[in-house]
Amino acid sequence: MGIAVLMKQVPDTTAKITVSGGRVDESAVSKWSISPYDEYALESALQIKEAGGVDLIAVTCGPARAAKMLTDAAAVGADALVHVLVEDLSALDSTQVQAILAAAVKHTGADVVFCGKQAADTNAGSTGPGVAHLLGASCVTMVSEIAVDGDSFTAMRATADGNERIAVSSPCVFAFDKGTTELRRPNVRGIMMAKKKVIETMSPADLGVDMGGSSVSIDGHSPPPEKPPGQKFEGAESVATVVGKLRDEANVI
Amino acid sequence: MAYEALDFYDVDSLLTDEERMIRDAVRDWVEENVIPNIEKACRDEVFPDQWRVDLGEMGVLGAPLKGYGCPGLSYMAYGLICQELERGDSGVRSFASVQGSLAMYPIWDFGSEEQKNHYLPKMHAGEWIGCFGLTEPDYGSNPGDMITRAEDKGDHYLLNGAKMWITNGTIADLAIVWAKLDGVIRGFIVEKDDSGFTAPEMTGKHSLKASVTSELVFQDCRIPKDRILPGVEGLKGPFSCLNNARYGISWGAVGAAQSCFSSAKEYALSRIQFDHPIASFQLVQNKLAWMLREITKGQLLAYHLGKKKDDGTWTSEQISLAKMNNVDMALEIARMARDIHGANGILDEYPIMRHMANLESVKTYEGTHDIHNLILGHHITGIQAFRREL
Repeated sequence: MGIAVLMKQVPDTTAKITVSGGRVDESAVSKWSISPYDEYALESALQIKEAGGVDLIAVTCGPARAAKMLTDAAAVGADALVHVLVEDLSALDSTQVQAILAAAVKHTGADVVFCGKQAADTNAGSTGPGVAHLLGASCVTMVSEIAVDGDSFTAMRATADGNERIAVSSPCVFAFDKGTTELRRPNVRGIMMAKKKVIETMSPADLGVDMGGSSVSIDGHSPPPEKPPGQKFEGAESVATVVGKLRDEANVI
Repeated sequence: MAYEALDFYDVDSLLTDEERMIRDAVRDWVEENVIPNIEKACRDEVFPDQWRVDLGEMGVLGAPLKGYGCPGLSYMAYGLICQELERGDSGVRSFASVQGSLAMYPIWDFGSEEQKNHYLPKMHAGEWIGCFGLTEPDYGSNPGDMITRAEDKGDHYLLNGAKMWITNGTIADLAIVWAKLDGVIRGFIVEKDDSGFTAPEMTGKHSLKASVTSELVFQDCRIPKDRILPGVEGLKGPFSCLNNARYGISWGAVGAAQSCFSSAKEYALSRIQFDHPIASFQLVQNKLAWMLREITKGQLLAYHLGKKKDDGTWTSEQISLAKMNNVDMALEIARMARDIHGANGILDEYPIMRHMANLESVKTYEGTHDIHNLILGHHITGIQAFRREL
């Protein structure tokens, strides 16, 4: 069985973001990382791989710099690496990215897909369900834990009422939320092995994906509105005012 | 904010992908595990056991050795590991240096096949800790006159003497002990449960507080005959270990200096005096520029020495220069960073005083600053200035 893990390279959550011309200035991003929810997906797949009998294929769609992320995945145990080279990912809309990723999954022959529930940069959250739709596969989102038995999977997901346990069989797509385990650290031996793993690089056209034009146009970007400055009260005489504000404006008492 | 190492001359671009990945993995580990916990470890004067486990799992212990479970990493990558560990704390780098360069290396280079197979895989994995006994209470810079003796008793060796300033001693499972057998310095593997061997911890240190420092005491310590290192005689044995450790220190010191520089730069930009950040004042900029200059030179020394280590074209004098220079510059940078931090610089909220106190030890151990100067003096003039009749 093959598990394709879909990964996106995003600005590290600790990296400073510079906005230029209404867009994030990618050249100013000092550190790029695997999107954190994709890390949960990767770790879950690695644990299943350790139990045996599974090939883990790391797949990404993105610019040349994203290749490093695939090598990082190889260093912790990914068996094969697929890179669909798209220099400007932000020029594509979600459905185009889904079409590319679904085609890449088909190319790998994997019938199970793991991915993060959303990417840490765009937060669209559409990749898992979108890829599942194109592959005609079942889809479970917000997965926090997963267990496998043959080709059937049991996934735990959080709902408003508590946790749900869902059983599905392949083909299936799981979109992971933060679970109980963090992505393992690579060790020296894994890193030394990683350089021997070849990244299969291809274009959307190689996969037979007709990109066409995007049906989405973005009218504008704007930063979130600035929060009004905090108010400060001193002395016992202000108690009544503070209580009034907490009750009537903040609605906390 | 993510830590961004100073790299003014883009040394990063000279590294291989593999070297960068290893550097980043160790950097992340230090960021997540050492930096948040180091002040407590220093206050409690312990080397957290979890760090031993983690370093073993990461595979960085004795990483440049090849075979016997060890990966055979480049010395460049090993240097980068030391740099990142010492950005956290010199005590963590000391742990790794002693394990890899001083305890594993002599077994790997001078040990028997049986010794290599028995000890090295477990030491690489961090399951067994090693230490290195050369320095004695009365013989520091002059180890050749050591008084620790081994006697051949037919079916075993009997060790008598004492070693001092031994990193990892009390927590070690085995010690590489250098002692004179019939007047010739030989290496012996002493295990922690050998009769007549004790390793009391030294207390009262103001430096390397998160590192275990011990005495090793041998009172009719009886060890089996197969625990002598067969492959070396004389000071060449311990000195070849020290060459590797000193090489690692030349990188480690850059890490400590980077930590001080990074803190000083951040502090100078945020500390307001006379209505402006102190970073806007010329005297502070002069200090920061000096730090940048010295760190950049130190990086280039370490990088080039790493190339020579990997090519096999290095000399011990070149290692002396890099160890001496880089520790010296790191210590000066720590002092200058303390100055920029003003009174805040003495608090454990900042890494400055800890690095400064650590570097005082690093300046002295593995060949003192002055001894390295004498090694270079000997190299220049052909006249050794260590030993004389007065």
